[in-house]
Amino acid sequence: MISLSGLTKEFPGGVRAIDSLDLEIADGEFFALLGPSGCGKTTLLRTIAGLEAPTSGNVSIGGVDVTGTPPGRRDVAMVFQDYALFPHMDVTANIAYPLRIKKVPRARREARAAETASRLSLSGLLARRPGQLSGGQQQRVALARAVASHPKVFLFDEPLSNLDARLRLEARTFLKRLQRELAVTTVFVTHDQGEALALADRIAVMDAGRIVQVGTPPEVFHRPAGTFVASFIGSTPMNLLPGAAQGGALHVAGVVLPLPPGVEDGPLVYGLRPEYADLSQSAPPERNASFAGKVAVVENLGTSYLVTLDTGDALVQVVVPEGPPGTGAPEPGAPAWAVPRPGRALLYRDDALLAHI
Amino acid sequence: MTREEPDQHHPPPRSEGRGRFWTEERPQRGTSEDATREDAASRRPEPRERSERNQTRHALATIGRATFLAVVLGFFSLPLLWLASAPFDAHPSITTSVPEFTLANFRSLLDNPYALSSLGNSVIQAGGSAALVVVLAALAAYALSRVRVPGRDALLYLLLLLSSVVTGTAAMVPLFELATRLNLIDTHLGVVLTLSGGLLPAAIFILKDFMDGTPASYEESARVFGASPLQILRHIVIPLVRPGLATIAVWAVANVWGSFLQPFILLRDPGKSPGAVILYTLYTEGGAPRLDLISTFSLLYSLPVVVMYVFVSRRYGFRFHGGIKR
Repeated sequence: MISLSGLTKEFPGGVRAIDSLDLEIADGEFFALLGPSGCGKTTLLRTIAGLEAPTSGNVSIGGVDVTGTPPGRRDVAMVFQDYALFPHMDVTANIAYPLRIKKVPRARREARAAETASRLSLSGLLARRPGQLSGGQQQRVALARAVASHPKVFLFDEPLSNLDARLRLEARTFLKRLQRELAVTTVFVTHDQGEALALADRIAVMDAGRIVQVGTPPEVFHRPAGTFVASFIGSTPMNLLPGAAQGGALHVAGVVLPLPPGVEDGPLVYGLRPEYADLSQSAPPERNASFAGKVAVVENLGTSYLVTLDTGDALVQVVVPEGPPGTGAPEPGAPAWAVPRPGRALLYRDDALLAHI
Repeated sequence: MTREEPDQHHPPPRSEGRGRFWTEERPQRGTSEDATREDAASRRPEPRERSERNQTRHALATIGRATFLAVVLGFFSLPLLWLASAPFDAHPSITTSVPEFTLANFRSLLDNPYALSSLGNSVIQAGGSAALVVVLAALAAYALSRVRVPGRDALLYLLLLLSSVVTGTAAMVPLFELATRLNLIDTHLGVVLTLSGGLLPAAIFILKDFMDGTPASYEESARVFGASPLQILRHIVIPLVRPGLATIAVWAVANVWGSFLQPFILLRDPGKSPGAVILYTLYTEGGAPRLDLISTFSLLYSLPVVVMYVFVSRRYGFRFHGGIKR
């Protein structure tokens, strides 16, 4: 178990990369630190590794306070974004390096390296130098080196970001399977919300050195704690429209929607994922509860289209699945209606989640 | 060919902005097509003239370049040719000629009590300085590259500037004074320390660049696996900057090998003087240069450096271990 309490890291010059942060990561958990660049997620990972000393607060791993312990004695293994494979050593020597530091005899550590390599399907590459490997192979060597050191905790810094888009999917599945098999507590940093949702057991969404929300992928996706998380999570950004509650009804972008009981009058933010609205080319029956406008932009997403609807007051985006073969995309300029699906929209007041409607 | 033709095919909808875009572009393309066709028609006889003129100019340029290269090559190769032929000539002069072959020059050189041992002294002084410079420069450059010291760059540039002063002629009197007080006169150590001091700033400067080029993540990775700073230096940093170390070593040896002033002033015993100093003693009592000895000694004196260059470039080859894209 990793627990962080009151952790603060201030860099010279007064930049607070981490701001009094508390977090508990359970044993065997696959945990994601997610956030935009500069939110402090990498600094947090490096602080757990011991490469950065916190300004204040504590880090403990497995119940032992390691705040002042040097990185080499924390029993963690870190995979860097650039993999940090030693270019002058072959694959065997790279994988066996942690064992060389632990003074394991050469024959034993080479056997261990070969065993780990075969597990990560690197057997044919043992005599190669990192420069002779593809990006995906380099990533697996870096993982193998971490695995070979048998740590209590894996720390991955953007493990997939240096891979091609296609390879990234493969590596993602591989990474998840590997973590399941080894069942070692793993913390990884990513700026890619899709990666975090796909891999992690739990996600901590970070912004400006603070954790904004911690939760399982469905929790974070369906009940974002604030508008920041709402706009950050999801492959297409959530529609966030300013509105107001008045006399038991919600007024947003010219549409009047019923309000759940218990919502007081006042300004609100109405959040609707583009995937949770249907586009109708003719006036729908629930006409009053749908956003009417003109199609402004149509973006092809492969099996669906992202349609931007100009309602006059606001822009509303809707993901429209492709129709039966032969039917085309909605025409720009055509009138259309976006119908929100019931129970899928979110209401925020003062940046806090208020209700689903 | 009319320029209106495209417009007839696509009557421009002038009312909209997009339409106007078309009308402007199409005629333009029309005119350029027409222009190239006209050019081709009217200039048809011209290209041959032009190519003849070009050929003449090309030939003249080639001749000019070859002449220039021959002069430059001769300028540099004649002294080398002299160095190769004069030692084997029974009557060497300052001109290069086909030698009357003999090995007598080598025999008379061996009669000089200091000639051969001076090369040994050169090896001691050059090797000692190179070792000292490489070790100290590597440690200093590593520290300067990894630790944030305020005013680090200013310090480096200042050292670099002063290094030419330290071993320069201007500093010889204080250096001599210092060496006398420290009892370093007439010792190899005195020469080694003085010359190393002069070489260190530039060596640190060059090596720091090599160190800066190795990503910090290599070392951090090793640190997380529990490596100590010295292990990191030995396992990761030194192998990665080996080409830089080889460069510094070769450069230091070559520098010390050719140094005359410092050993000339700091050493009195000719038995400790390096080759560069002994070379200046090969005169007759009358003060005339003994070209037979000078040429022979010069050949022996320059061979070790040549051998070292070949060896180092074979052994270390200044090759790169590429990183990955970041």
